[in-house]
Amino acid sequence: MPAMAVVAERQRPPPIRPESLHPTLWLGHQLARHADAAVATGFEALDAQLPGAGWPRRALTELLLPHPGVGEIRLLAPSLAATQRAGRLVMLFDPPASLSAGALAQLGFAVEELLVINSHNRARTRVTPGTDSLWALEQALKSGHVGAVLAWLPPRLRAERLRRLQLAAHAHDGPAFVLCDMSAAQRPTAAPLRLALRANGADALAVRVLKRRGPLLEAPLQITLPPVLSEVAQQRARAGVMPADAKANASTKPGSLHAATFVNLAAG
Amino acid sequence: MLWIALHLPLLSLESFAATLPHEAGEPPLALMDAHSILAVNAPARALGVQPGFKRATALALAPQLTLGLADPARDAQALTAVAHAALAFTPTVVIQPPSHANAEDAPHTVLLEVQASLRYFGGLPALQRRLKEALTPLGHRLHIVSASTPLGAALLARVQPRLDCADLAATARALARAPVWLLGPGRAHWEALQGMGLHTIDDLSRVPRDGLARRFGPVVLDELDRAMGRRPDPREPLVLPPTFDSRLELFARADTTEQLMHGAAVLLARLVAWLSAQHAFARRFTLVMEHEKRSRFDAPGSGITSLEVALAEPSRDSAHLLVLLRERLAQLQLPAPTLDLALRAEDIARRAPPNTELFPTPATEHEGLTRLIERLQARLGREQVQRLAPVQDHRPERATAWRTADAQMRPGRARNPAGGANDALSAARLVRPVWLFQQPELLTEREAAGERGPWCDGQPLLLLSGPERIESGWWDFDAIERDYYIAQLPGGALVWIFRERVPNAGATLNWFLQGRFG
Repeated sequence: MPAMAVVAERQRPPPIRPESLHPTLWLGHQLARHADAAVATGFEALDAQLPGAGWPRRALTELLLPHPGVGEIRLLAPSLAATQRAGRLVMLFDPPASLSAGALAQLGFAVEELLVINSHNRARTRVTPGTDSLWALEQALKSGHVGAVLAWLPPRLRAERLRRLQLAAHAHDGPAFVLCDMSAAQRPTAAPLRLALRANGADALAVRVLKRRGPLLEAPLQITLPPVLSEVAQQRARAGVMPADAKANASTKPGSLHAATFVNLAAG
Repeated sequence: MLWIALHLPLLSLESFAATLPHEAGEPPLALMDAHSILAVNAPARALGVQPGFKRATALALAPQLTLGLADPARDAQALTAVAHAALAFTPTVVIQPPSHANAEDAPHTVLLEVQASLRYFGGLPALQRRLKEALTPLGHRLHIVSASTPLGAALLARVQPRLDCADLAATARALARAPVWLLGPGRAHWEALQGMGLHTIDDLSRVPRDGLARRFGPVVLDELDRAMGRRPDPREPLVLPPTFDSRLELFARADTTEQLMHGAAVLLARLVAWLSAQHAFARRFTLVMEHEKRSRFDAPGSGITSLEVALAEPSRDSAHLLVLLRERLAQLQLPAPTLDLALRAEDIARRAPPNTELFPTPATEHEGLTRLIERLQARLGREQVQRLAPVQDHRPERATAWRTADAQMRPGRARNPAGGANDALSAARLVRPVWLFQQPELLTEREAAGERGPWCDGQPLLLLSGPERIESGWWDFDAIERDYYIAQLPGGALVWIFRERVPNAGATLNWFLQGRFG
């Protein structure tokens, strides 16, 4: 009998690894994989921590910002510009401020091919703010013909509206980014990926992964963005000092104008 | 020669039902002329109402009966739409005229000569199936009969829902069994013919012809000969009108968009039939709504709203047209309830029909995008769907213009190899923030660490780069003279601020926030 048991022990097949059975199976300590290839973010450090190594397709990606202008466009620009180069449409919904065509062109966007839905400058107000843009966003996601969408959601959005968008995103073959205020972090989300962005020094971004299909990530990721500042200015930012000439110029009093300054008498 | 006759036995009732507000289930309906009931639908018949009843009798039997007046003009418009739909299958389409003897008895029949179309459509059964599919949106009950003579087909269609007579002999055999009252004059003399023992057309053709002609006039024999193919029966084919104009008088006044859409859907189905007759697509169409007069002093033309729907991509897909119309109607506030609807179209595009594909192709994606943008424009308004355009101007507020997006926008099309404006902007390597405020925000100036400087969001700013001096725009009286700096918030976010170079009324030089680096 013991001999039989030993033989059985020897013949037992190696344990089955669940992740080898089906692409949607994964263990808790692993990162999930997607059936669809993800869209590369353009930042290696970020790709390494995202399931599927990039922004997911057919799902919402929620980005939480303390205020617009922490570097979110520079973070998304590589993937969105790649979508445009592939001949697909990128749509923006309700951007919080006016956009600069020159700055977008420098980030690699084909500026004239961005489609922007501005529902807040509409004269007739609806009962619920943002209803029109949410409807438009849902239509765009459902159509499946749009390459990527980037939407700024109204504050205090009800959870079922976001869930509805997430369901609509199943038909959308491309990344779908929704940008919310940081206060939304307290509420649960239907989006399978949720990141919090914070500026971390000039031209750098700290990305905290709040939710992903995979293990918890404690430390925020440090991402270096394409620089806005020159080398010298970056050194100044690190040193935290003001340039001498700027200081001199900034402290110029109205009484001591430079000789070459033209004074507009008509305006005065 | 092979003729298909489409007979619509319930045309009057169906064209009346189209003017009613949409209801769940099928309400009992009856049509009447001045004195008596002419036609009833199945629910009314189940309640015991019969054609020929007086109005009071019918209402006593069924108080919930909806009574409408028979309107030959309304029936003719519905029948014209059927004829238009049939024109997509053959150029020879005829609306069967009323018989000479009793002009008020409209035959409600459309005739198609299809001998030349059989091969293209793959035989008679396939053609009839396609014909039925094309007529489904119009929503009529159909009798389809094919025969060798136009009159024979028209007569048989009145009694037979479905019949195919392959040749002249089969047509003659089928007609021989048909009742004698089918022939127009036969109905006028029906009692006399019954008295003579002539029940079927076969009986009629057995009696001597000269006697028949003497008793009933030559018309009976003339119709019989034409139906049997013994006498030529030339027909004038229908010519498609160059513009589409169809109207629908609503039975009840329409207060809501839903009620309007029910009527508009009927008119759109007619428009699609007219378009498919000439293999064309609509570029724009107009829905004209005539409203109830608010007072009797209103001018006759005052209560009319016209709603024009223009399409970026010409279409004859009734579902898409209906969605666009619904969105446009939802935006519109109508001054009064609507009584009368009319749909007009003249701007059309003739082109090859779209290919039907199983798998998505770039063409279907482009069409889908066009439809999406059209739908967004219809609901939100054209001015809400925008694109950016760079402008050659040094003033930051003016370097970007918003343009209304074209629904035909196709990614990858505008990228010309020379580059154009995009390259000119990048070549300058000007550092500009993505978020650029149209109205600069005034910043406060406070002491921080012993120095006065601008503050933003309650935090001191650290100037990192600058100044970049911009002086421009004296030519259009919007001159700016500013020194721009890139500054950093304590957290690390970068902002773009400027200081005026011309003191304002308070003799101070203010700091302003112009943008944020996104």
